Amino acid sequence: MRSAGGRRWGIGLRDRVTLTFGLLALVLSGLLAVVVGVLVSHYLLDQRQTSAVYETSLNASILRQALAQDRSDVADVLSGVPGNDRTSSLLTFDGAWYTTAVTAGPGALPAELVDLVRAGRPASQRIEVGGAPFLAVGMPVGEHSRDAYFELFSLAQLNSTFHVLSVTLVVAAVVTAAVGLVVGRFASRRALRPLTDLTIAAAAVAGGDLHARLVTDRHDPDLGRLAASFNRTAAALERRVQADIRFAGDVSHELRTPLTTMLNSMALVQNRRAELPPDLVEPIDLLADDLDRFRRLVIDLLEISRDADTADGVDRETANIGDLVRHAADAVAGRPVTTVDDDAVRATLMVDKRRLERVVANLVANADTHGGGCIGVRVHRTQTGVAIVVDDAGPGVAPQHRERIFERFGRGRNGGDERGVGLGLAIVERHVRWHHGTVTVVGRPGGGARFVVELPGPGAG
Amino acid sequence: MSRKVLLVEDDQRVRRVLRLALQDEGYQVLEAATGCVGFEQARADPVDVVLLDLMLPDLDGFEVCRQLRRHSSVPIIMVTARTDSHDVVAGLEAGADDYVTKPLVAKELSARIRALLRRSEASAAHPHHVVVGDLDISLDAGTVTRDGQVLGLTRTEFRLLLELLNADGQVCSREHLLERVWEYGYFGDSRIVDVHIRRLRKKVERDPATPRHVVTARGLGYRLAG
Repeated sequence: MRSAGGRRWGIGLRDRVTLTFGLLALVLSGLLAVVVGVLVSHYLLDQRQTSAVYETSLNASILRQALAQDRSDVADVLSGVPGNDRTSSLLTFDGAWYTTAVTAGPGALPAELVDLVRAGRPASQRIEVGGAPFLAVGMPVGEHSRDAYFELFSLAQLNSTFHVLSVTLVVAAVVTAAVGLVVGRFASRRALRPLTDLTIAAAAVAGGDLHARLVTDRHDPDLGRLAASFNRTAAALERRVQADIRFAGDVSHELRTPLTTMLNSMALVQNRRAELPPDLVEPIDLLADDLDRFRRLVIDLLEISRDADTADGVDRETANIGDLVRHAADAVAGRPVTTVDDDAVRATLMVDKRRLERVVANLVANADTHGGGCIGVRVHRTQTGVAIVVDDAGPGVAPQHRERIFERFGRGRNGGDERGVGLGLAIVERHVRWHHGTVTVVGRPGGGARFVVELPGPGAG
Repeated sequence: MSRKVLLVEDDQRVRRVLRLALQDEGYQVLEAATGCVGFEQARADPVDVVLLDLMLPDLDGFEVCRQLRRHSSVPIIMVTARTDSHDVVAGLEAGADDYVTKPLVAKELSARIRALLRRSEASAAHPHHVVVGDLDISLDAGTVTRDGQVLGLTRTEFRLLLELLNADGQVCSREHLLERVWEYGYFGDSRIVDVHIRRLRKKVERDPATPRHVVTARGLGYRLAG
């Protein structure tokens, strides 16, 4: 069973963990940046305002004293008030406006601020003059409540401080998010390594390697349990598969004796075919036919169930592959069907001749029985060894059946209602795998199926 | 006169049906249900071929084979359950000439028997003496002697030696020997040749570990040297 769950969303678990880490880092650092930005800017502004109010009230009292002594030249008195960072001072006295600056006239002050101060209350307000930010601070002066003194403080420097601060905070947030992504990537890789091992092991089991297991000596109890559980499943599967194979072998083994009795009895009956009553000829022939099929099935079952018994290398001998294929293929087809390419004429490999004969014989028989006839067997060299190619004239094998066709009793072809497909190709697959080779079925150019057996080895003749 | 086959098989039904089928093929069939009975019967009444099941209740097939070989060069065909088991090699080592696998059919069996008997007779058709090194090969008697002593070759071993002799010192491939001596095609079991070569060496070589007469041509086959 294959699940496309992860793929459907287009994003894997590892990517999701990484993204989560990154987003979390971004949200946290962003929140931190906003809080820091707001607090710091409030604090700085507060500081600035306090010092501005203090300075203005100081100047206002100086002004008040100066005006009490000399009222003749109000503008001169105003210019005598000390001022460092203030841009301009404005004074309304006896209904007239005086100012030290050319740029900022009384029109720059908001009316409500002026009214508030004239009413006798000190006040301050942030304003804009010619597009630049200022803090306007007003203080009442003199006995006349109508008299008021204003100072304008530039906030340009403070604003640029705010700007630097916010840029710094944004950069810090982005960097933190990036670090979060990297950490997330690293953590997910580390955390998901057992999953990667599991994937590899599961793929190996699915590919037929039933011995694949996970390492269980981990300190993590969760992963240890997962590995142990996987291993138990794989071991159970292996036992089950082996038991199935052994059972098939045992059953076939037990069938040998009755089969011997039946086959020889049938041979005796058929030797006296001429003496049979006419109405018995057909049933006897039917019986003989099925007995023969039965015999072949038992032989195939024995063939497929005994692979595990033989150690690799025991039955290997050097053989010329071209000769071997020609002998097997031509004998089964009953006509010459084999072509050996020039480069493969001298190709020899260490093979089990009997097994490879079964491979070739079964493929040719399959082509003749189910593939509309074998139209050629070719032997040629490949980069890694030797290939045996069997072509047929049938309808071909649909792509979705191309793996299943090699399973035991896998009925891939032509809707799968044919008889006899059974074990032939499964035996082919097992015997090719025994030789560390591969067998695949593809479409033959021009129609029909093409079975390709690739055997590894130097192939040098 | 019809050929006599001794059938050593414990399963009564298989024994009965093989008797009927072999009789139908023209053989005279003697039956034995156990190894001991089979062995005694073979000693008491010489037969042309012994058909020996390896799975017997008392004395197993290998032992029967070894004991028979001490007294007789009669062709022995063993019946095995599986071709890839060690049984085949062990049976051949014990002295069997050939093997068949269950489920066996009388016609195949008959072909095997004919091949064994045909080559046994073929050796009698050449009344010559040939000397190879220290071996004196009598073609008419089917015997090999060294220093005046007869080396007890079975008929099959003798026929194998004869094939190598006929090749005139050239290398004989396993396939060639399988076809000529056992009448198998390309896919015959070459282990039969290898084991027979081992058995032959034990008899004709002074030191079977370093053979001087039956020499291996690595990857190609065997040849006879003087």
